[in-house]
Amino acid sequence: MRRNVSVAAWFVLLAVCIVLPFSSEDSQVLTIAIQTFILTALASSWNIIGGFAGQISLGHAAFFGMGTIITRELWLSGAPLPLSLAAAIVATALFALIIGVPMLRFRGIYFSIGTLALAVAISLTIGNLFPGITSMPVEALRAYTFTDPYFLALGAAVTTVAVAMLLRRSVVGLGMMAVRDDEAAAGAVGVDVLAHKLAAFAISAALAALAGGAFAFFSVSYYPSYPFTAVWSFETILVTFVGGIGTIVGPIAGSAFFVIGRDTIAANFEGFQVIGFGVLFIVVVLLVPGGMVEGAQRIGAWVVKQGQGRKRDVEG
Amino acid sequence: MSKARFGALVAAVSLLVAGTVPVAAQDAEIPESIKVGAVVPLTGPFAGGGAQVERGYRYAIDAINEAGGVYVEEYGTSLPLELDLRDDESDPNRTTAILEDLNGEGVVAYLGGFGSPLHAAGTVIAEKNQIPYMGVATALQALHENGYRYYFSPFPKSPDIAVSVFEMLNALLPEGERPTRVGIFQESTDWGEELGAAWTEQAPNYGYEVVFHEKYTPGTTDFSDLIFKAQEAGVQALLSLPTPPDGFALFKQMGELGWKPEFSLVVRAADVPTWNDLGDVGDGVFLSAGWHPALGFEGIEPMNQRHIDEQGRPADPVVGGSYSLVQILADSIERAGTLDREAIRDAMAATDLDTVAGHITFREDGTSPIENPLMQRQDGAVQLIWPAEAATAEIRYPANE
Repeated sequence: MRRNVSVAAWFVLLAVCIVLPFSSEDSQVLTIAIQTFILTALASSWNIIGGFAGQISLGHAAFFGMGTIITRELWLSGAPLPLSLAAAIVATALFALIIGVPMLRFRGIYFSIGTLALAVAISLTIGNLFPGITSMPVEALRAYTFTDPYFLALGAAVTTVAVAMLLRRSVVGLGMMAVRDDEAAAGAVGVDVLAHKLAAFAISAALAALAGGAFAFFSVSYYPSYPFTAVWSFETILVTFVGGIGTIVGPIAGSAFFVIGRDTIAANFEGFQVIGFGVLFIVVVLLVPGGMVEGAQRIGAWVVKQGQGRKRDVEG
Repeated sequence: MSKARFGALVAAVSLLVAGTVPVAAQDAEIPESIKVGAVVPLTGPFAGGGAQVERGYRYAIDAINEAGGVYVEEYGTSLPLELDLRDDESDPNRTTAILEDLNGEGVVAYLGGFGSPLHAAGTVIAEKNQIPYMGVATALQALHENGYRYYFSPFPKSPDIAVSVFEMLNALLPEGERPTRVGIFQESTDWGEELGAAWTEQAPNYGYEVVFHEKYTPGTTDFSDLIFKAQEAGVQALLSLPTPPDGFALFKQMGELGWKPEFSLVVRAADVPTWNDLGDVGDGVFLSAGWHPALGFEGIEPMNQRHIDEQGRPADPVVGGSYSLVQILADSIERAGTLDREAIRDAMAATDLDTVAGHITFREDGTSPIENPLMQRQDGAVQLIWPAEAATAEIRYPANE
């Protein structure tokens, strides 16, 4: 029964998302929704390497950026969008596999610093190689509507969440979580530690590239180095922690909370959005390490406890 | 929380969101004001320039509103201008997001900020939303070659800057005393590429030789390698276009390493008043900010006086250009006779107006045939050197003596 309700809730949420662009032409509403979907896809993809496999990568922006630049360059050169996206996903996954072999031999903080250094180096290189802004052609600009980017971003979010769901229930996913919980113990019972880390890294990178492709299709203009900047990695990690690392719902809830909260704070307390979320991150890590998901569970447990207490009082 | 309860919560929130989607409302009444959207860098690397832009917009709007506002024929009355000015933190990606928001607020036109990267981002959104956009403090010619209809910029562009510096030097300095050995410190940006190429192309036409030309990444904090190489190459005239923080770092290190060429043109970074904090090494530097109060155009005096009263110095270079944009917009709205964006855009394209930045008309590509004044910082004051007929001081050359 509970499972049925849960499945129904997912479908209702999806249905609302599908109906939204037909019921509202408000560009602000659609922009917020698209940003939420892209961040959801990115956070869910990071959750696979960070939450499932326990490898705290600080260089996720590199994969997101690769997704944007490959998709954008091919698409603006005339290649069909699906082909451009597919090329971006495959190339990024291959890149992750190649750099993952040496990188994943590092553990803990060394892996984190290594990924951050790599991402910064790539970001600077892209900034030097592509100094000019990338803009859609004039004809495309004038014909631009939010509908197509909306559904691509929604598709990226749904795909990423679905992959995370399937992975979590799979043998491979269980192997990743075993590696996360105790590498030595996992290895001792026959789990190929490096292979599982590598699989998580490549899948995570490929899905980040999908999110990047959605960003490239949505954004009318941006500097090519922008998606490679560290802020994307940090926002991704922030929303995953705030939502609930290692869970399916966490990255979705965290992304929605972050995008809506950021815009609300920026509109009312200009300049305070960065420090606001910085403080929130510290509070979450200290008080509710499981994020919004754990917070909701605690509140739910408290409500149930209160209800049972009242029931006992009445019966007594 | 159980899955069932979580599911119910998701469903409830989803329905709530769907039910509260705003529905556009039509209001046929006379608006209380004319909404104008501006996105300006008040924080971040371009904050120094953004503050000047903000002042220019504010002064002009106050002056127009105090004079009764802008007459709109459609409503048969004059309406005040209402400026919705927001800080993009010098981040082009914030620029685009804010301009999208302002579109939703129903602004009739956009006014841009400071620096080509921000304008490059802004003009694209203007074109997408089909809202007229004006900007100064941007010399990127390439933006006018995209076929955009909604972008207007009465500001000198890279080809003007490239030519005017050599014209000025040749006119003011006798042959044999000119700084003919040119060094270019080129920022790795689209505008850096454009202006670097323009300087390189024009130098030989005026008898100058580019003996050193190197790129650097924006945000660079160590310029010592470039400085040593330029010194070795015997650079006499340094041409650069750094952001204010990069420009400050560059000149501070030049001071520390004891190098000051005979002539320096620092486009953009030297525009900000805090440049004087550099002391001797920053003094004598030329800037190309598009305007100076001594140009003597109609309307400068009251604006300049207000600036002196508030800031204790004559109007900063970017204030005048920014002020003129609001004048052009008000004139365009009045001639359009409506608040329709397309009509305002068409009226703007047909501008033929005397402003504090001179007489403004627009070419087909949105640029304006406008002279490029060159200024020199002399003992902390910004002196107009070029055009010679309006100069407030003689050129101080060589600057390193």
